[in-house]
Amino acid sequence: MLDIRGLTVTFPGTTTPALRGIDLRLEGAKMVVVGANGSGKTTLIRSILGLVAPSSGSIAVGGTDVRTIRGEPGLSTNLAEVYRLMSLPVRDLVRLFARLKGGDPAEMEGHLRSFELDPALGKRLYELSTGQQKLVGDLFAVSFGPRLVLLDEPFDNVDFGRRRRLVGLLRALPADVLLNTHELELLGSFADWQLGLMFEGQLLGPFSVAELDRLYLTRGEVRGALAVLRSSVGTFSVTRDAGDRPVKSATSLNALVESLA
Amino acid sequence: MNLARWYMKAMLTNGSLWFWAVAFMAMWLGIGAFLESLGVASTRSAVVAYTTSWYAVIVLIALSLLAAVIAGSYAYGSSALAYAFRYSRLTPAGYLASIVGGSALLGLVLNVVLLGATAGMFGLRFATTILPADPAALLGVSLLGGVFFMALSSTLALLAINHLGLRSADFVGYVPLVLSFVLGNAQVYVAFPRWFVYGSPFNDLTSLLYQGYSGNPPTVELGTAAVSLGWVPLLLGILVWTAALVGCTLVLLRRIRARQLEERRQI
Repeated sequence: MLDIRGLTVTFPGTTTPALRGIDLRLEGAKMVVVGANGSGKTTLIRSILGLVAPSSGSIAVGGTDVRTIRGEPGLSTNLAEVYRLMSLPVRDLVRLFARLKGGDPAEMEGHLRSFELDPALGKRLYELSTGQQKLVGDLFAVSFGPRLVLLDEPFDNVDFGRRRRLVGLLRALPADVLLNTHELELLGSFADWQLGLMFEGQLLGPFSVAELDRLYLTRGEVRGALAVLRSSVGTFSVTRDAGDRPVKSATSLNALVESLA
Repeated sequence: MNLARWYMKAMLTNGSLWFWAVAFMAMWLGIGAFLESLGVASTRSAVVAYTTSWYAVIVLIALSLLAAVIAGSYAYGSSALAYAFRYSRLTPAGYLASIVGGSALLGLVLNVVLLGATAGMFGLRFATTILPADPAALLGVSLLGGVFFMALSSTLALLAINHLGLRSADFVGYVPLVLSFVLGNAQVYVAFPRWFVYGSPFNDLTSLLYQGYSGNPPTVELGTAAVSLGWVPLLLGILVWTAALVGCTLVLLRRIRARQLEERRQI
């Protein structure tokens, strides 16, 4: 469903790329991408959505280049900016996007009820709390029969109980999923998913979340490494079963790299 | 896919639009009716000409305020449009058709409200009934005016969004307002040449509104004589401008560039 090759994005007026040579293929799979804030995770999703132009490389969704894709309702996201088509209460936005996506508004209204977000239906997006906005975006993303779902920090500002319900919804979703998060501790909920590590615009992987306990980060370039990270603070290798620091031990990927630098 | 229903709802529940394009403009009509009218001759023709001039300019400015709101909506929704054209059934042509229909109806709503305010306030001031001579023509012109201003603001906003950035989009949203204020008012006081009035969409609209309300064609001075403006060239003028701008909007919509709202921050 998703095929990214050599994707590099450099924003105008900057020399450091936000994304560096990303290769990613997602077909019948779900993947968590873990990285610190500013590592390029959101830029990756915005590039796939066609909201950021690649400097080089290609992105194909369903076999069609994103630059030319039109009328493909099977891809969805939780980024709030794409639901600001008109300044309307959430109830009308649900009906509007159900029509645009060819879905049933009752499906998303049901999700909203199950997350106790019924009061949000009568409000505009900007009238919702940050957590409510995030959840409404998450529920837009999983509604109307998507085949590829791009989720950017879907658990930010979401309380514990709803996080659990959202995890259950995402695990059961019959679609390919690319989920960005900076919270390593969330990975335990997605043991059967693929894992990507993002640092300074580079995507390492795919690994498996289930093998997280076996992954280590090691200084320098190690022969037989699973992946090599060339960063501004040095070169590091991702190794299996042995290495300088277990990936699982870190509170964040930044902290892990900094502890070795 | 017709989104006109939602577009109308978003616009009609926009408090700023009602305040600036209706309440604020009605206040100016009140100033025209009760404060500025002291020197108006008490003949029927002078009263009608005075009332109609105010009405035509105020409706033009109200429509330009609608244009400012529409321009702002592009800045707010550029990412949403770029996304929807790729990842939903919405097409640029379908979206444009929806906002053409919605804007025409909004032009009609604004015109009807301001028409009532004009007839009420000026009728009260001059103690006479001043009703439009050709309501059907006025309704047609207001539909056309809504579409023209939508297309003008869309073209300007999309040019700014696609090539300059959201900061510029905020400023170009006021270009229709400035042009309407200057050209609409100037037509009352300045003897524009006939070709200029026919070629200026703002003056085409003002002239057609004037003719529809008063029943008399507006005039321009040619040497020492006053020459009436024909409604056919006026209508052709606004139609050509509207068609050209709708075409530009479609081309620009197809290439819309997503901008993040944070970029809009001026300071």
